[in-house]
Amino acid sequence: MSDEARLLAEIHAARGLLRAPAPARRIGHAALWAHAARAPGAPVDLAVMRALRDESDAARRYRAMLAARALAHAPLAAAASDGAVARRRVGAFDLEILPADSDAPPLLVVRGPDGPWPRAIEAWRGDEAVRLDLGEPVAGATVLALDPAVPEAALLGRLLADPACAVFLL
Amino acid sequence: MTGGYDERCAADLAAVAEGRDLSREDRGWLARAVTGAVRPNRDRPLWDLAHALAALARATGPCDGRDLVTLALDPGLATAAAVAERFSGMAGADARGLAPDGGEGWRTTWTGLARLLALAEFVLTAEDLAGFAAVAGWLDDLAAAPDPEGAAALARRLARHLAAYRTDHLPLAPLERRFRAILGFLDGRRAFADDDILAFWRGAMDEGERPGFRTVAEHFVTFEAAAALLGGLEGLAAPASLAEHEGWEERLDASLADLAAAEPAEALAAVLADLPEGPKILTGAEREDLADFLRLEPFHRTRPLTILRAASFGRVQSGIANRLRRGGGGAGIAERATCAEAESYAALRDRAGALAAHLARMLRIAAALRIADRDGLALETRAALDAAEADLRRVRRAGFDDRAGLAAGFAATEAALLRLAEEAGRLERALAALARQRPLDDAFAADRAVFAGAFAAAYAGEAA
Repeated sequence: MSDEARLLAEIHAARGLLRAPAPARRIGHAALWAHAARAPGAPVDLAVMRALRDESDAARRYRAMLAARALAHAPLAAAASDGAVARRRVGAFDLEILPADSDAPPLLVVRGPDGPWPRAIEAWRGDEAVRLDLGEPVAGATVLALDPAVPEAALLGRLLADPACAVFLL
Repeated sequence: MTGGYDERCAADLAAVAEGRDLSREDRGWLARAVTGAVRPNRDRPLWDLAHALAALARATGPCDGRDLVTLALDPGLATAAAVAERFSGMAGADARGLAPDGGEGWRTTWTGLARLLALAEFVLTAEDLAGFAAVAGWLDDLAAAPDPEGAAALARRLARHLAAYRTDHLPLAPLERRFRAILGFLDGRRAFADDDILAFWRGAMDEGERPGFRTVAEHFVTFEAAAALLGGLEGLAAPASLAEHEGWEERLDASLADLAAAEPAEALAAVLADLPEGPKILTGAEREDLADFLRLEPFHRTRPLTILRAASFGRVQSGIANRLRRGGGGAGIAERATCAEAESYAALRDRAGALAAHLARMLRIAAALRIADRDGLALETRAALDAAEADLRRVRRAGFDDRAGLAAGFAATEAALLRLAEEAGRLERALAALARQRPLDDAFAADRAVFAGAFAAAYAGEAA
């Protein structure tokens, strides 16, 4: 039967794969996925945090998972800008940072269409990352205070202002 | 052994196998599902996977694709026992496995489900997760409509996905041509001899293909291992009952499980992986020699002449190939092609004997390190352990002066060491039997003329 040679080739490749040396152990897919699925503020797996910081491979795989979970994501800022970005579009959502005034911290305003609303925002730049709860939308928008006194909120504000920052709405 | 897959594929598969700590058998199944060595339909595992995920989506209630991803990536669902514990008792399952239609239609065992979830992790994470979002999206669609139509649609998408992956990462066409040539050469025969391998290789050399002798020998290893199954394929060409197909699949499974288990090459890899920094149980040169001798498993037991040819002239040929690749370095092509530097069969036999003796000595030392309390032992056993202690004191290798570290090192490698010692002993005996049939010096002289002639003709262009 003409299929014999094909089957032999497939068996040969399978046997070769079984003999291929195992690579150095790396952080597992399940651990990265659990990290991608975590609630904002929930305890994190330190081994995952270390891998995300130290291994570009782990960070890349994690972002592929985040992209799959996200309602919308922007690998980099959509708008080219040489200064701080005050406004950017992430999928169908609009993100705007309103500057601080004398008695209020900067505010992040997320506007979007009716339908599924993101529960959290995660921003990434280099080895810095932060995830925050977005809360329920009111009249098609969510407002988040980027309070300089709250380290995570301050970090989110700093990251979002950078055009090189990746954003995931989860 | 190389051929038929690239590094990406090996890494993708290893990530799943290591992450789930799969058994050899399950790794073998997964490798076959990926390469397509499944009959009568190479996409059957994907059909089963789609139906298994649909059954899980229905049974676990409202869910979305992310829940299915979580199931697929869970290393805690890697064994039959683990999936049985999680899912038995739920709707659509019986004691043996998933049976969504009360066992009337599609079903799978717990072993099958554990394997299918590993395949799910593979398709999700293949190509280092390049297709993760796409596959996760398809799982969303399935979760929204986990009915037979949804399952069939997912199966078709996964089949296209894996077919594209195979095109990119499993270069099977050259291998298929090689096996077609071997089948043609043997002309319907399933049995072959050492000289058939040599004659086939010479024919390929004459045709200008210039495959490595060792590579060709590896293809014959696979051919021999699978030859018994090939007859079954003929039956599949004719209309046959499903039951016959299933019987054939079981034979293929069983045979491949045999191929995968208990390979000395695997044992060697395990020794290398487990070798602690401290005691030098095997030197680098010894490991290379062992790898050379045992790589063509099971020929080191059954076809020692092919092992000698590969170790002696195969090495000459890879020297030529390396020089051609580098474009220089070391002896010239013409000089190498004469095989004047080929290692004689007698010398190779001596080296194999020395390796076997070394491994046997290391095993006795391992026993001496492990057995501290010897009072109740038989006199001969005690004498053997004392001899091993004396051996241990004579060994001048790194780490052998630190008894605690040495004991830990041996404990980590003992099982693999035992396997290597056994196989080295078998090779030694096979070589002794070969030498009784025909003096090795005569065989070497005759083979040298053959290989030198083939090399001179095949590499004449580059040698000039």
